[in-house]
Amino acid sequence: MPASPKSEPRPNPDALDDKSPSATDDARRDRYEQLLAEAQAIKGVSLWKDAWRRLRQNWAAMGSLGVLITVSLLAFFTPLLPLQSPIDQDLENRLLLPPDSTVVYLGQREALRFEANSLKAQLARYDQRLDQLQQERAQAATAEEFAAVDEEIQQIRESENPLLQLWHRPGPLSQAMIRIRLAIFGDWSLPSWAGTDALGRDLLARLFWGARVSLIVGVVATFVSLVIGVTYGAVAGYAGGAVDAIMMRIVDVLYSVPFIFVVIFLITFLTEESIKKTYLEPFGINQIMIFYVVIGAIYWLTMSRVVRGQIISLKNEQFVEAARTIGASRARIIFRHLVPNVMGIVIVYLTLTIPAVMLFEAFLSFLGMGVQPPDVSWGLLANEGIKVITPIRIYWWVVLFPSTALALTLFALNFLGDGLRDALDPRMRTR
Amino acid sequence: MFLLRRLGWMLITLWVVYTISFALMRAVPGGPFSREKQIPEAIRRNIEARYKLDRPLVVQYFDQLRPLVTGRWENGRLKAWPDFGASFRLEDYTVNEVIAQGFPVSATLAIFALVFALMLGLSAGVVSAVQRHSPLDVSFMAAATLGIAVPNFVLASLAIVLFVFVLGWFPAAGWGTLKQIALPAICLGAPIAAYIARLTRTGMLEVLNRDYIRTAYAKGLHERRVIIHHALRGAILPVVSYLGPAAAGVLTGSIVLEQIFSLPGMGNHFIEAANQRDYTLAMGMILVYTFLLYVMNALVDISYAMIDPRIKLQ
Amino acid sequence: MQFWRKAFPYLMALMAVAAVAWAVSFGTLPPADFAWQNGDEIKTVDPARATGAPEGRILDAVFEGLLRNAPAGPRQANGIQPMAPKPGVAAAMPEISDDGRLYTFQLRDDARWTNGDPVTADDFFWSWRRMLHPETASEYAYQLYYIVGAEQYNTAQVAEGDKVEVELPDRPDPLQAFPRGTIRRGILRRIVPAESASQDTDDADAAAEEDARRQAYYVVEVKPEVDGQVDWEATGETQVFSIEPASTTFRDEETQHDVQTCLHVLIDFEAAGGVRVLGPKQLQITLKNRTAYFNSLLAFYPLYPVNRQCVEQYGSPYWTKPDHIVSNGPYRIQFRRIRDRVRLIKNETYWDADNVHLETLDAMAVKSQTTALNMYLKGQLDWATDVPQTMIPELKKRDDFLVAPALITYFYRLNVDRPPLDNVLVRRALNMAMDKQALCDYVAKAGQQPARGLVPPGMAGYEGALAGEFNVTRARELLAEAGYPGGRGLPRIEILYNTSEGHQAIAEAIQQQWKNNLGIDVELRNMEWGVYLDTVSKTNFTVARAGWIGDYPDPNTFLDMFVTGGPQNNTNWSNAQYDRLIEQAASEPDAEQRMQLLREAETILMDELPIIPIYFYVSINMVHPEVQGFAPTLQDVHPLMNLRIDRPSL
Repeated sequence: MPASPKSEPRPNPDALDDKSPSATDDARRDRYEQLLAEAQAIKGVSLWKDAWRRLRQNWAAMGSLGVLITVSLLAFFTPLLPLQSPIDQDLENRLLLPPDSTVVYLGQREALRFEANSLKAQLARYDQRLDQLQQERAQAATAEEFAAVDEEIQQIRESENPLLQLWHRPGPLSQAMIRIRLAIFGDWSLPSWAGTDALGRDLLARLFWGARVSLIVGVVATFVSLVIGVTYGAVAGYAGGAVDAIMMRIVDVLYSVPFIFVVIFLITFLTEESIKKTYLEPFGINQIMIFYVVIGAIYWLTMSRVVRGQIISLKNEQFVEAARTIGASRARIIFRHLVPNVMGIVIVYLTLTIPAVMLFEAFLSFLGMGVQPPDVSWGLLANEGIKVITPIRIYWWVVLFPSTALALTLFALNFLGDGLRDALDPRMRTR
Repeated sequence: MFLLRRLGWMLITLWVVYTISFALMRAVPGGPFSREKQIPEAIRRNIEARYKLDRPLVVQYFDQLRPLVTGRWENGRLKAWPDFGASFRLEDYTVNEVIAQGFPVSATLAIFALVFALMLGLSAGVVSAVQRHSPLDVSFMAAATLGIAVPNFVLASLAIVLFVFVLGWFPAAGWGTLKQIALPAICLGAPIAAYIARLTRTGMLEVLNRDYIRTAYAKGLHERRVIIHHALRGAILPVVSYLGPAAAGVLTGSIVLEQIFSLPGMGNHFIEAANQRDYTLAMGMILVYTFLLYVMNALVDISYAMIDPRIKLQ
Repeated sequence: MQFWRKAFPYLMALMAVAAVAWAVSFGTLPPADFAWQNGDEIKTVDPARATGAPEGRILDAVFEGLLRNAPAGPRQANGIQPMAPKPGVAAAMPEISDDGRLYTFQLRDDARWTNGDPVTADDFFWSWRRMLHPETASEYAYQLYYIVGAEQYNTAQVAEGDKVEVELPDRPDPLQAFPRGTIRRGILRRIVPAESASQDTDDADAAAEEDARRQAYYVVEVKPEVDGQVDWEATGETQVFSIEPASTTFRDEETQHDVQTCLHVLIDFEAAGGVRVLGPKQLQITLKNRTAYFNSLLAFYPLYPVNRQCVEQYGSPYWTKPDHIVSNGPYRIQFRRIRDRVRLIKNETYWDADNVHLETLDAMAVKSQTTALNMYLKGQLDWATDVPQTMIPELKKRDDFLVAPALITYFYRLNVDRPPLDNVLVRRALNMAMDKQALCDYVAKAGQQPARGLVPPGMAGYEGALAGEFNVTRARELLAEAGYPGGRGLPRIEILYNTSEGHQAIAEAIQQQWKNNLGIDVELRNMEWGVYLDTVSKTNFTVARAGWIGDYPDPNTFLDMFVTGGPQNNTNWSNAQYDRLIEQAASEPDAEQRMQLLREAETILMDELPIIPIYFYVSINMVHPEVQGFAPTLQDVHPLMNLRIDRPSL
């Protein structure tokens, strides 16, 4: 498929003719490259601007973009929101409650044994104790005393931090955000507008925390596929000849591999204790990262084919010739000159891969191979949801909200993908 | 020549898949004979000896590969080819027998799903394109996007409550009658129908503005004839090329639906085989699926050449 | 090409039509009288090879042992139907000698195989020896270890002076262990290790031992046989055998012998005298020790007989095909569809066929709880054995929801070698910080009983020992005493469970209880079944979920798990006193005294806590009201032959 002329920014051909390229003259070359870069930058902007102008006219795509930005922001700032704890179970009182609007205060559950049944009070006490110990440490006379107090501080941090009772291993950034939230809203948190699940946990909070996992899985796995796919496709396309033939044959072979089966094997294999201890943990790789890589490793095939096709149609264009003439290395030509030019189609493809990946995560959750509790993802929540759809009784809120959130996001991504394709590929404007 | 070359690549693909799967399977801890109740060491050794699991891995690799190539011979007569061996966990069966029983189930499901998806998807796509921006078009496309965006296990669960219990049209699960096939096939076909509808609509819209369509109209041909004979033929290419990935999608989807509807198909066998470390059965399933996927991709390429004269098989 | 191109769309349409027609052609199946959810697809219908409850339900219907479990007496007040072993193929309950070791059975004259042959004492002897044969590789072989000679035969242990059987490699079908090759029987005079006995000590000891066993020379005085009877008193001919001979000749002190290759050198099971065939219908069994529950074992499916002629004619696994199989139970197999169903049909040759009411049965291989519930509600199943946990509160309101205590304990294994669980105080603290009542009421929900001991209630004459109660203050004190006040500095604990909705909910709830009550942050790890089993068997965990189903209604089936080095121990826990008590109890003739010993053992266990008992299961069954004769039982066994249906249509 020939790419449309508009999507191929070219360096100014006049600039090439004026100056004879000389590999020895460094200063001139630098200036030349600078010119080239500038020329590309200008053209590039106009291409994107053009696309953006077209995209803006597409209300469905713009609406989707809005939805996606909102969802991402909400997911990122989840710890700041006055939500209940996503992991605190209330077995006695709150099993499978339908949505209601009773306000809940953090730490109010008796069994938590928080001071004054309040997280804020308990946190204050914990901070106070920590302060006190830190002072002691500062005044420590001997090295042993210092070490002893220091160790106690460490232990208290690990075992008495009340935030750890209500959130699952929050990172430093999340902890900071939760503290800000406590400062603003105190213990007050939103009612269970989305009901509670089979262990009495607030579904609204789980939905928000699950969004973080689902979105990250979607984005990171897609990014992995992007890196592999673009590199592979670009190299094959540019190299051509036997190299191309072999590389594409490999892709053909892989196309016929029933990957779902291989993934199931891979996940059972990589999440196994002994393997993890020996090979993965020393490098700080955890379950969720394995996930990204494994999923990403499947979805690169189509990406590489698409990119290869584009590169082949581009590689004999003048701007590539130009770069070659001035002695740019192959890697440089591929990654600085060719790849940016296929970004349009790659982005379109990306917006279609992310939903596929998120669905795949849901599918793995269905088979019990998704994220591990108490981490949550939308796939996991949807799977918990279908367990309570039976003709005896339907706890509709357990399935409705996660599925809606998932569907809405995938919906938006699909629309945005369509919109981007229309915007970046004017040939399709007839739609 | 084309077919020969394809065959060669298929063999290579199968061999690659065999090797990868063999390595992965043996690397995963837990064997086919792990049990909650531990068995005494001597008995465990007896079992391993019986299934030749005590041999070196390289020997096992070739032991399992050989009958796949040569088949099983008894008294100079070929009994089964390729011979996948005996199932470790379903002891009363050979893997060939399991496939022989499971394949028709999965194939039936897939055929119904694909036919349903094609019929629904093509007609919805054509109607949408012809009546562009009508309420019908908008609702079709919204339904199609929804079909793509909802995980099929959620779809299936909702469908069961609706069609089985509220409306009472179908039995809840199981296998044996046409009624039992219908619901899983619809759930399986729905996302594919949705995708096909979108592809058809896009393709149709592009084609409908072409000159030859205008010419056809100008000749005074009936609208139906123009759309079906002229436009659809040009618009169907993306749908055909989607059938390869669709086959893969049917694969994944059928795993979920076979579990939810308790169907004795290959997806169900595979998940169980992987969980129970049934080495031979899991291998059999993977190789059969690889073969099917490969054939499907080859068929798509052939259909492509059939529909579009510009494309040559190479 | 042009033609093909034209024809292509029609061709595709034709293919689609053909495919649909082919798919439709699968005939429909008339429903069975009674269908039940049998869970996972059964592994096999060979009694010697089967394990697990789904297999058990089918084998109980298809085969019959000397005894069979049957209702005994009226239902108890809590609705439980007591079950006891009753004569099956045996005409009456066995005569047992005073020392409890000798069981004599008279077989029923009218017990027949489905091919018309009578079931004889020889069938049992042959079936049990087949089950013990190393090549049968039966997992339940140890259930026969109570019989004299069984363990040696199964594990191929031979010693000089033993009466042995040597099998020569001339089997009619080399791939089939039965029919066997020529058997030479005699007295093993000497075992001479091969000179080239491998010296690789790198190999696992077990493997090296196995190699040595295979390469050794066995000098056997082969006794003459007259009419199939061995004359053990006669002088025999000395022959030398080896499984993997290193040389073809063997030089004794004075003479040189040819070495014969053989397949096995096993003790002579017949001569060992554990099972004696006294007549066609008379059988005598000799046990190593008094075994109080041996009658229960005889009614357990691994000990059911198989038909020798059928096995030898078709070979394994082909003899189990519905077309070939010969069985002796109330039902026989009509057909099997993998992961779909096993269709059983009434066996008219069964001796008690008049009391078998239902003509056809379907064992449906339905695993998913939700699917099973749906099918049950739609009338596709008459009996569901597993329903979704979240629905239990709703289902409990129904009349057809039967809950009964079961002989199953849910517990956590603690690895006592791993800090901090090496400290008994920590183990006690973990136990006391667990609100088991809340777990039963709000998570398990079906009326499970919180467990303070390992042995479930309901064992006649036994009262269990109790571990510490739920007491947060005391638990915290214990943790502080152990050196971890407020959970500070406690090494990381991880709860391992196999992937399942129910186990995960329990683990999540316990995770929170320990977090709230002790301030310790435990991790959860779910593993898919195969990996989980492997990890547990290697004791490669800190805390692992476990469940134990009593094989027979006796505390011993629970308590003998935790003897030092026991294959099910998997906690690294070892206590000499405990081992001694279990051993004493095994041979104690007095029932009351025996229970006392077992109780003492459980007291030690509950004091040391290498396990934390969590709750006692209940069996959950949903059965349509028109099904008569179904009653909850302690072991959750429900003989299908007793069922009848009062449906208007029948």
